[in-house]
Amino acid sequence: MKEWIKFSFLAVVFLLFYFAPVSGPAVVGSLAAGLALLQEYARLHVLTCLVPAFFIAGSIAVYIKKDAVLKLLGPAAKKIIAYPVATVSGGILAVCSCTILPLFTGIYKRGAGIGPAAAFLFTGPAINVTAILLTGSVLGWDFAVGRLVAAMVISIVAGLFLAFVFREHDQKNSSADFAAGMESDIPYSNAAISLFLILQLGILVVFGLGIDSTIKATLIITMVAAVLAIAVFKFRKEHTLEWIRETWDLTKKILPYLFVGVFIAGAIEVVVPQEFITRLVGENTLLSNAVASTFGAFMYFATLTEVPIIQKLMALGMGRGPALTLFLTGNALSLPSMIVLFRVMGKKQAAAYILTIIVLSAFAGMLFGELL
Amino acid sequence: MIIRILGNGCSKCKTLEQRLVALKQMHGLSFELQMVTDLDEILKYGVMMTPGLVLDGTLRSVGTVPRESQLLTWLKETSV
Repeated sequence: MKEWIKFSFLAVVFLLFYFAPVSGPAVVGSLAAGLALLQEYARLHVLTCLVPAFFIAGSIAVYIKKDAVLKLLGPAAKKIIAYPVATVSGGILAVCSCTILPLFTGIYKRGAGIGPAAAFLFTGPAINVTAILLTGSVLGWDFAVGRLVAAMVISIVAGLFLAFVFREHDQKNSSADFAAGMESDIPYSNAAISLFLILQLGILVVFGLGIDSTIKATLIITMVAAVLAIAVFKFRKEHTLEWIRETWDLTKKILPYLFVGVFIAGAIEVVVPQEFITRLVGENTLLSNAVASTFGAFMYFATLTEVPIIQKLMALGMGRGPALTLFLTGNALSLPSMIVLFRVMGKKQAAAYILTIIVLSAFAGMLFGELL
Repeated sequence: MIIRILGNGCSKCKTLEQRLVALKQMHGLSFELQMVTDLDEILKYGVMMTPGLVLDGTLRSVGTVPRESQLLTWLKETSV
Protein backbone atom coordinates (compact mmCIF):
# COMPACT_ATOMS: atom_id res chain seq x y z
CA MET A 1 0.00 0.00 0.00
CA LYS A 2 1.31 3.44 -0.91
CA GLU A 3 1.90 5.82 1.97
CA TRP A 4 -0.54 8.45 0.76
CA ILE A 5 -3.33 5.86 0.57
CA LYS A 6 -2.69 4.95 4.20
CA PHE A 7 -2.76 8.63 5.07
CA SER A 8 -6.05 9.35 3.28
CA PHE A 9 -7.58 6.26 4.88
CA LEU A 10 -6.60 7.51 8.33
CA ALA A 11 -7.85 11.01 7.46
CA VAL A 12 -11.25 9.66 6.40
CA VAL A 13 -11.58 7.65 9.62
CA PHE A 14 -10.57 10.71 11.64
CA LEU A 15 -13.09 12.98 9.89
CA LEU A 16 -15.78 10.36 10.27
CA PHE A 17 -15.34 10.24 14.03
CA TYR A 18 -14.86 14.01 14.26
CA PHE A 19 -18.22 14.81 12.71
CA ALA A 20 -20.26 11.65 13.35
CA PRO A 21 -23.38 12.18 15.46
CA VAL A 22 -22.32 9.42 17.85
CA SER A 23 -24.95 10.20 20.43
CA GLY A 24 -27.67 10.59 17.80
CA PRO A 25 -30.56 8.12 17.89
CA ALA A 26 -29.59 6.35 14.64
CA VAL A 27 -26.08 5.48 15.83
CA VAL A 28 -27.06 4.57 19.38
CA GLY A 29 -30.10 2.64 18.19
CA SER A 30 -28.23 0.57 15.60
CA LEU A 31 -25.38 -0.22 18.01
CA ALA A 32 -27.88 -1.37 20.61
CA ALA A 33 -29.80 -3.46 18.05
CA GLY A 34 -26.58 -5.07 16.83
CA LEU A 35 -25.61 -5.99 20.39
CA ALA A 36 -29.10 -7.29 21.12
CA LEU A 37 -29.01 -9.62 18.15
CA LEU A 38 -25.55 -10.82 19.16
CA GLN A 39 -26.92 -11.68 22.56
CA GLU A 40 -29.87 -13.50 21.02
CA TYR A 41 -27.51 -15.64 18.92
CA ALA A 42 -25.16 -16.25 21.83
CA ARG A 43 -28.03 -17.41 24.05
CA LEU A 44 -30.21 -19.28 21.59
CA HIS A 45 -28.07 -20.62 18.78
CA VAL A 46 -24.41 -20.99 19.65
CA LEU A 47 -24.44 -23.85 22.17
CA THR A 48 -27.59 -25.59 21.00
CA CYS A 49 -27.09 -25.38 17.26
CA LEU A 50 -23.72 -24.13 16.07
CA VAL A 51 -21.45 -26.16 18.35
CA PRO A 52 -23.11 -29.52 17.49
CA ALA A 53 -23.26 -28.47 13.83
CA PHE A 54 -19.53 -27.77 13.73
CA PHE A 55 -18.81 -31.16 15.29
CA ILE A 56 -21.04 -32.83 12.70
CA ALA A 57 -19.27 -31.00 9.87
CA GLY A 58 -15.93 -32.02 11.40
CA SER A 59 -16.99 -35.68 11.50
CA ILE A 60 -18.11 -35.54 7.88
CA ALA A 61 -14.73 -34.13 6.89
CA VAL A 62 -12.82 -36.87 8.70
CA TYR A 63 -14.90 -40.05 8.69
CA ILE A 64 -16.86 -40.06 5.43
CA LYS A 65 -15.13 -41.94 2.65
CA LYS A 66 -14.92 -39.32 -0.05
CA ASP A 67 -13.23 -41.35 -2.76
CA ALA A 68 -16.35 -43.47 -3.25
CA VAL A 69 -18.48 -40.36 -3.81
CA LEU A 70 -15.97 -38.72 -6.12
CA LYS A 71 -15.59 -41.83 -8.26
CA LEU A 72 -19.29 -41.43 -9.17
CA LEU A 73 -18.44 -38.03 -10.68
CA GLY A 74 -15.54 -39.30 -12.77
CA PRO A 75 -15.23 -39.33 -16.56
CA ALA A 76 -16.85 -42.76 -16.91
CA ALA A 77 -19.85 -41.89 -14.73
CA LYS A 78 -23.34 -42.39 -16.15
CA LYS A 79 -25.25 -39.09 -16.42
CA ILE A 80 -28.25 -40.42 -14.57
CA ILE A 81 -26.06 -41.14 -11.57
CA ALA A 82 -23.70 -38.17 -11.90
CA TYR A 83 -26.39 -35.48 -11.61
CA PRO A 84 -28.09 -36.59 -8.38
CA VAL A 85 -24.72 -37.42 -6.82
CA ALA A 86 -23.38 -34.00 -7.80
CA THR A 87 -26.25 -32.21 -6.11
CA VAL A 88 -25.95 -33.97 -2.77
CA SER A 89 -22.18 -34.39 -2.71
CA GLY A 90 -21.71 -30.71 -1.89
CA GLY A 91 -22.83 -31.50 1.64
CA ILE A 92 -20.27 -34.27 1.99
CA LEU A 93 -17.27 -33.09 0.00
CA ALA A 94 -17.26 -29.37 0.53
CA VAL A 95 -17.51 -28.54 4.17
CA CYS A 96 -15.92 -25.17 3.50
CA SER A 97 -16.41 -22.96 0.48
CA CYS A 98 -12.67 -22.77 -0.22
CA THR A 99 -12.65 -26.43 -1.26
CA ILE A 100 -15.37 -25.98 -3.86
CA LEU A 101 -13.33 -24.51 -6.67
CA PRO A 102 -10.73 -27.30 -7.07
CA LEU A 103 -13.50 -29.89 -6.92
CA PHE A 104 -15.60 -28.02 -9.46
CA THR A 105 -12.69 -27.56 -11.86
CA GLY A 106 -11.78 -31.21 -11.47
CA ILE A 107 -15.29 -32.46 -12.25
CA TYR A 108 -15.63 -30.01 -15.14
CA LYS A 109 -12.29 -30.53 -16.84
CA ARG A 110 -11.40 -34.08 -15.94
CA GLY A 111 -14.58 -35.74 -14.77
CA ALA A 112 -18.26 -35.94 -15.63
CA GLY A 113 -18.34 -32.62 -17.52
CA ILE A 114 -19.97 -29.22 -17.31
CA GLY A 115 -23.49 -30.33 -16.30
CA PRO A 116 -22.68 -32.25 -13.10
CA ALA A 117 -19.91 -29.74 -12.33
CA ALA A 118 -22.36 -26.83 -12.48
CA ALA A 119 -24.84 -28.75 -10.34
CA PHE A 120 -22.13 -29.35 -7.75
CA LEU A 121 -20.97 -25.73 -7.89
CA PHE A 122 -24.44 -24.49 -7.09
CA THR A 123 -25.38 -26.83 -4.26
CA GLY A 124 -21.89 -27.05 -2.79
CA PRO A 125 -22.21 -23.92 -0.64
CA ALA A 126 -26.00 -23.99 -0.31
CA ILE A 127 -26.36 -27.51 0.99
CA ASN A 128 -23.66 -27.31 3.63
CA VAL A 129 -24.71 -28.94 6.89
CA THR A 130 -24.04 -26.06 9.26
CA ALA A 131 -25.93 -23.61 7.03
CA ILE A 132 -29.02 -25.82 6.81
CA LEU A 133 -29.02 -26.50 10.56
CA LEU A 134 -28.62 -22.83 11.49
CA THR A 135 -31.37 -21.85 9.03
CA GLY A 136 -33.68 -24.35 10.67
CA SER A 137 -32.80 -23.20 14.15
CA VAL A 138 -33.28 -19.49 13.40
CA LEU A 139 -35.99 -19.31 10.73
CA GLY A 140 -37.83 -22.60 11.10
CA TRP A 141 -37.51 -26.00 9.50
CA ASP A 142 -39.84 -25.24 6.57
CA PHE A 143 -37.25 -22.70 5.45
CA ALA A 144 -34.37 -25.11 5.92
CA VAL A 145 -36.10 -27.84 3.91
CA GLY A 146 -37.28 -25.36 1.28
CA ARG A 147 -33.76 -24.11 0.88
CA LEU A 148 -32.40 -27.64 0.56
CA VAL A 149 -34.99 -28.92 -1.92
CA ALA A 150 -35.00 -25.79 -4.07
CA ALA A 151 -31.20 -25.82 -4.29
CA MET A 152 -31.18 -29.46 -5.37
CA VAL A 153 -33.87 -29.03 -8.03
CA ILE A 154 -32.35 -25.84 -9.44
CA SER A 155 -28.90 -27.35 -9.60
CA ILE A 156 -30.09 -30.33 -11.66
CA VAL A 157 -32.14 -28.14 -14.03
CA ALA A 158 -29.29 -25.65 -14.44
CA GLY A 159 -26.76 -28.46 -14.97
CA LEU A 160 -28.88 -30.19 -17.62
CA PHE A 161 -29.52 -26.88 -19.36
CA LEU A 162 -25.82 -25.99 -19.49
CA ALA A 163 -24.85 -29.48 -20.62
CA PHE A 164 -27.37 -29.15 -23.46
CA VAL A 165 -26.35 -25.65 -24.55
CA PHE A 166 -22.65 -26.42 -24.49
CA ARG A 167 -22.81 -30.04 -25.63
CA GLU A 168 -20.27 -29.37 -28.37
CA HIS A 169 -17.79 -27.67 -26.06
CA ASP A 170 -17.89 -30.44 -23.51
CA GLN A 171 -14.83 -32.46 -24.36
CA LYS A 172 -14.77 -36.16 -23.67
CA ASN A 173 -12.72 -36.70 -20.58
CA SER A 174 -10.77 -39.87 -20.16
CA SER A 175 -8.46 -39.21 -17.34
CA ALA A 176 -7.38 -42.30 -15.49
CA ASP A 177 -6.07 -40.51 -12.42
CA PHE A 178 -9.34 -38.72 -11.61
CA ALA A 179 -9.50 -38.09 -7.88
CA ALA A 180 -6.12 -39.68 -7.32
CA GLY A 181 -4.84 -40.36 -3.84
CA MET A 182 -8.28 -40.27 -2.28
CA GLU A 183 -8.25 -43.83 -0.97
CA SER A 184 -8.97 -43.16 2.67
CA ASP A 185 -7.46 -45.02 5.59
CA ILE A 186 -10.68 -44.99 7.60
CA PRO A 187 -11.08 -48.59 8.79
CA TYR A 188 -14.47 -48.32 10.49
CA SER A 189 -17.74 -49.88 9.38
CA ASN A 190 -20.43 -47.73 7.80
CA ALA A 191 -22.71 -48.60 10.71
CA ALA A 192 -20.28 -47.17 13.28
CA ILE A 193 -19.80 -43.98 11.31
CA SER A 194 -23.55 -43.55 10.74
CA LEU A 195 -24.28 -44.08 14.42
CA PHE A 196 -21.64 -41.51 15.31
CA LEU A 197 -23.22 -38.95 12.97
CA ILE A 198 -26.82 -39.72 13.94
CA LEU A 199 -26.04 -39.37 17.66
CA GLN A 200 -24.55 -35.92 17.07
CA LEU A 201 -27.50 -34.89 14.97
CA GLY A 202 -29.73 -36.25 17.74
CA ILE A 203 -28.10 -33.91 20.27
CA LEU A 204 -28.91 -30.94 18.08
CA VAL A 205 -32.50 -32.07 17.49
CA VAL A 206 -33.20 -32.75 21.17
CA PHE A 207 -31.89 -29.28 22.08
CA GLY A 208 -34.62 -27.84 19.87
CA LEU A 209 -37.47 -29.95 21.27
CA GLY A 210 -39.93 -28.41 23.69
CA ILE A 211 -39.96 -31.25 26.19
CA ASP A 212 -39.57 -31.55 29.95
CA SER A 213 -36.15 -30.23 30.91
CA THR A 214 -35.15 -33.25 33.03
CA ILE A 215 -35.86 -35.66 30.19
CA LYS A 216 -34.08 -33.31 27.81
CA ALA A 217 -30.98 -33.11 29.99
CA THR A 218 -30.91 -36.90 30.47
CA LEU A 219 -31.22 -37.52 26.75
CA ILE A 220 -28.51 -35.03 25.87
CA ILE A 221 -26.07 -36.29 28.50
CA THR A 222 -26.62 -39.88 27.33
CA MET A 223 -26.00 -38.98 23.72
CA VAL A 224 -22.94 -36.86 24.47
CA ALA A 225 -21.55 -39.76 26.52
CA ALA A 226 -22.23 -42.17 23.65
CA VAL A 227 -20.51 -39.90 21.12
CA LEU A 228 -17.50 -39.54 23.40
CA ALA A 229 -17.41 -43.30 24.01
CA ILE A 230 -17.33 -44.00 20.27
CA ALA A 231 -14.68 -41.34 19.70
CA VAL A 232 -12.46 -42.64 22.51
CA PHE A 233 -12.95 -46.41 22.54
CA LYS A 234 -14.02 -47.31 19.03
CA PHE A 235 -12.13 -44.86 16.81
CA ARG A 236 -8.36 -44.58 16.71
CA LYS A 237 -6.74 -41.75 18.60
CA GLU A 238 -5.29 -40.11 15.51
CA HIS A 239 -8.70 -39.92 13.84
CA THR A 240 -10.36 -38.55 16.95
CA LEU A 241 -7.69 -35.86 17.20
CA GLU A 242 -8.19 -35.12 13.51
CA TRP A 243 -11.94 -34.78 14.15
CA ILE A 244 -11.36 -32.26 16.92
CA ARG A 245 -8.84 -30.35 14.85
CA GLU A 246 -11.17 -30.24 11.85
CA THR A 247 -14.02 -28.97 14.04
CA TRP A 248 -11.83 -26.32 15.58
CA ASP A 249 -10.56 -25.30 12.15
CA LEU A 250 -14.12 -24.73 10.92
CA THR A 251 -15.09 -22.85 14.04
CA LYS A 252 -12.12 -20.53 13.68
CA LYS A 253 -12.89 -19.96 10.03
CA ILE A 254 -16.62 -19.29 10.36
CA LEU A 255 -17.53 -17.99 13.81
CA PRO A 256 -15.72 -14.60 13.81
CA TYR A 257 -17.34 -13.65 10.49
CA LEU A 258 -20.69 -14.86 11.70
CA PHE A 259 -20.53 -12.62 14.77
CA VAL A 260 -19.66 -9.62 12.61
CA GLY A 261 -22.53 -10.56 10.27
CA VAL A 262 -24.97 -10.89 13.18
CA PHE A 263 -23.99 -7.47 14.51
CA ILE A 264 -24.39 -5.86 11.08
CA ALA A 265 -27.74 -7.60 10.59
CA GLY A 266 -28.97 -6.21 13.91
CA ALA A 267 -27.81 -2.72 13.02
CA ILE A 268 -29.46 -2.88 9.57
CA GLU A 269 -32.85 -3.28 11.18
CA VAL A 270 -32.59 0.22 12.67
CA VAL A 271 -30.82 1.99 9.80
CA VAL A 272 -32.76 0.70 6.79
CA PRO A 273 -36.24 2.22 6.52
CA GLN A 274 -38.97 -0.39 6.72
CA GLU A 275 -41.04 1.00 3.86
CA PHE A 276 -38.04 0.73 1.54
CA ILE A 277 -37.82 -3.04 2.11
CA THR A 278 -41.58 -3.53 2.04
CA ARG A 279 -41.92 -1.68 -1.24
CA LEU A 280 -38.96 -3.43 -2.87
CA VAL A 281 -39.32 -7.04 -1.74
CA GLY A 282 -42.36 -7.10 0.51
CA GLU A 283 -44.71 -8.92 -1.81
CA ASN A 284 -44.20 -12.17 -3.58
CA THR A 285 -44.18 -10.77 -7.11
CA LEU A 286 -41.94 -11.62 -10.02
CA LEU A 287 -40.25 -8.24 -9.72
CA SER A 288 -39.44 -8.52 -6.03
CA ASN A 289 -38.08 -12.04 -6.50
CA ALA A 290 -35.97 -10.81 -9.39
CA VAL A 291 -34.63 -7.99 -7.21
CA ALA A 292 -33.77 -10.43 -4.41
CA SER A 293 -32.20 -12.84 -6.87
CA THR A 294 -29.97 -10.23 -8.53
CA PHE A 295 -28.99 -8.64 -5.22
CA GLY A 296 -28.03 -12.05 -3.82
CA ALA A 297 -26.03 -12.88 -6.92
CA PHE A 298 -23.73 -9.88 -6.55
CA MET A 299 -23.63 -9.61 -2.77
CA TYR A 300 -21.03 -11.64 -0.93
CA PHE A 301 -22.16 -13.42 2.23
CA ALA A 302 -19.51 -15.10 4.33
CA THR A 303 -20.56 -18.64 5.29
CA LEU A 304 -23.64 -18.56 7.57
CA THR A 305 -23.96 -14.76 7.69
CA GLU A 306 -26.83 -14.94 5.21
CA VAL A 307 -28.97 -16.35 8.04
CA PRO A 308 -29.01 -13.33 10.41
CA ILE A 309 -29.16 -10.87 7.49
CA ILE A 310 -32.19 -12.55 5.94
CA GLN A 311 -33.76 -12.96 9.39
CA LYS A 312 -33.60 -9.20 9.91
CA LEU A 313 -34.66 -8.35 6.36
CA MET A 314 -37.75 -10.45 7.01
CA ALA A 315 -38.34 -8.59 10.25
CA LEU A 316 -38.31 -5.44 8.12
CA GLY A 317 -41.02 -6.87 5.91
CA MET A 318 -39.28 -8.97 3.27
CA GLY A 319 -41.66 -11.60 1.92
CA ARG A 320 -41.03 -15.32 2.34
CA GLY A 321 -40.62 -15.84 -1.41
CA PRO A 322 -37.92 -13.23 -1.95
CA ALA A 323 -36.23 -14.40 1.28
CA LEU A 324 -35.84 -17.92 -0.09
CA THR A 325 -34.63 -16.49 -3.40
CA LEU A 326 -31.99 -14.52 -1.53
CA PHE A 327 -30.89 -17.70 0.26
CA LEU A 328 -30.47 -19.45 -3.08
CA THR A 329 -28.36 -16.88 -4.95
CA GLY A 330 -26.77 -15.32 -1.87
CA ASN A 331 -24.61 -18.36 -1.18
CA ALA A 332 -24.10 -19.70 -4.66
CA LEU A 333 -22.95 -16.49 -6.35
CA SER A 334 -21.07 -13.34 -5.46
CA LEU A 335 -19.08 -10.79 -7.40
CA PRO A 336 -15.72 -12.40 -6.51
CA SER A 337 -16.98 -15.89 -7.40
CA MET A 338 -18.32 -14.61 -10.74
CA ILE A 339 -14.88 -13.30 -11.67
CA VAL A 340 -13.36 -16.69 -10.92
CA LEU A 341 -16.11 -18.43 -12.91
CA PHE A 342 -15.39 -16.33 -15.97
CA ARG A 343 -11.76 -17.38 -15.76
CA VAL A 344 -12.37 -21.09 -15.23
CA MET A 345 -15.43 -21.72 -17.42
CA GLY A 346 -14.93 -19.22 -20.21
CA LYS A 347 -17.07 -16.15 -20.87
CA LYS A 348 -20.09 -17.72 -22.57
CA GLN A 349 -20.47 -20.64 -20.20
CA ALA A 350 -20.06 -18.45 -17.12
CA ALA A 351 -22.60 -15.87 -18.32
CA ALA A 352 -25.09 -18.63 -19.16
CA TYR A 353 -24.57 -20.26 -15.75
CA ILE A 354 -25.03 -17.02 -13.83
CA LEU A 355 -28.16 -16.00 -15.75
CA THR A 356 -29.71 -19.46 -15.41
CA ILE A 357 -29.14 -19.44 -11.67
CA ILE A 358 -30.59 -15.93 -11.23
CA VAL A 359 -33.73 -16.75 -13.23
CA LEU A 360 -34.34 -20.19 -11.71
CA SER A 361 -33.80 -18.91 -8.15
CA ALA A 362 -36.32 -16.12 -8.64
CA PHE A 363 -38.94 -18.62 -9.83
CA ALA A 364 -38.17 -21.09 -7.05
CA GLY A 365 -38.56 -18.36 -4.42
CA MET A 366 -41.84 -17.22 -5.93
CA LEU A 367 -43.17 -20.78 -5.92
CA PHE A 368 -42.12 -21.20 -2.27
CA GLY A 369 -43.82 -17.92 -1.35
CA GLU A 370 -47.02 -19.02 -3.10
CA LEU A 371 -47.19 -22.51 -1.67
CA LEU A 372 -45.94 -22.20 1.91
CA MET B 1 14.49 -34.17 -3.03
CA ILE B 2 11.72 -31.92 -4.29
CA ILE B 3 8.54 -31.60 -2.25
CA ARG B 4 5.52 -29.97 -3.85
CA ILE B 5 2.49 -28.84 -1.89
CA LEU B 6 -0.56 -28.56 -4.13
CA GLY B 7 -3.06 -26.03 -2.86
CA ASN B 8 -4.65 -22.71 -3.62
CA GLY B 9 -3.83 -21.08 -0.32
CA CYS B 10 -6.20 -22.92 2.01
CA SER B 11 -5.41 -22.89 5.72
CA LYS B 12 -4.47 -26.58 5.72
CA CYS B 13 -1.95 -25.96 2.95
CA LYS B 14 -0.21 -23.44 5.17
CA THR B 15 -0.29 -25.83 8.14
CA LEU B 16 1.34 -28.51 6.00
CA GLU B 17 4.01 -26.08 4.82
CA GLN B 18 4.80 -25.02 8.39
CA ARG B 19 4.93 -28.61 9.55
CA LEU B 20 7.39 -29.55 6.82
CA VAL B 21 9.59 -26.54 7.50
CA ALA B 22 9.62 -27.39 11.21
CA LEU B 23 10.57 -31.02 10.48
CA LYS B 24 13.32 -29.84 8.17
CA GLN B 25 14.89 -27.76 10.91
CA MET B 26 14.38 -30.30 13.67
CA HIS B 27 15.88 -33.25 11.81
CA GLY B 28 18.35 -31.41 9.60
CA LEU B 29 16.71 -32.65 6.40
CA SER B 30 17.47 -31.28 2.97
CA PHE B 31 14.74 -30.78 0.43
CA GLU B 32 13.34 -28.09 -1.82
CA LEU B 33 9.79 -27.01 -1.01
CA GLN B 34 7.60 -25.80 -3.88
CA MET B 35 4.11 -24.39 -3.46
CA VAL B 36 1.90 -25.16 -6.46
CA THR B 37 -1.07 -22.79 -6.56
CA ASP B 38 -2.13 -23.05 -10.22
CA LEU B 39 -5.37 -25.06 -10.44
CA ASP B 40 -4.57 -26.68 -13.79
CA GLU B 41 -1.20 -27.76 -12.48
CA ILE B 42 -2.83 -29.20 -9.35
CA LEU B 43 -5.38 -31.07 -11.46
CA LYS B 44 -2.60 -32.69 -13.50
CA TYR B 45 -1.94 -34.80 -10.44
CA GLY B 46 -5.63 -35.72 -10.27
CA VAL B 47 -5.88 -33.87 -6.97
CA MET B 48 -9.21 -32.22 -6.19
CA MET B 49 -9.04 -31.73 -2.47
CA THR B 50 -6.21 -29.60 -1.21
CA PRO B 51 -3.56 -29.81 0.08
CA GLY B 52 -1.92 -32.49 -2.03
CA LEU B 53 1.57 -33.61 -1.09
CA VAL B 54 3.98 -34.76 -3.79
CA LEU B 55 7.41 -36.18 -2.92
CA ASP B 56 9.72 -36.45 -5.94
CA GLY B 57 6.80 -36.92 -8.30
CA THR B 58 4.87 -39.38 -6.12
CA LEU B 59 1.51 -38.27 -4.74
CA ARG B 60 1.46 -39.15 -1.04
CA SER B 61 -1.60 -37.54 0.49
CA VAL B 62 -4.68 -35.57 -0.50
CA GLY B 63 -7.00 -33.34 1.47
CA THR B 64 -5.35 -33.73 4.86
CA VAL B 65 -2.32 -32.64 6.79
CA PRO B 66 -0.47 -35.89 7.53
CA ARG B 67 0.91 -36.55 11.03
CA GLU B 68 4.55 -35.75 11.65
CA SER B 69 5.53 -39.40 12.11
CA GLN B 70 3.86 -40.24 8.81
CA LEU B 71 5.66 -37.38 7.06
CA LEU B 72 9.01 -38.54 8.46
CA THR B 73 8.46 -42.09 7.20
CA TRP B 74 7.68 -40.82 3.71
CA LEU B 75 10.64 -38.46 3.74
CA LYS B 76 12.97 -41.31 4.68
CA GLU B 77 11.50 -43.64 2.06
CA THR B 78 11.94 -41.04 -0.65
CA SER B 79 15.43 -39.87 0.23
CA VAL B 80 16.91 -43.40 0.14
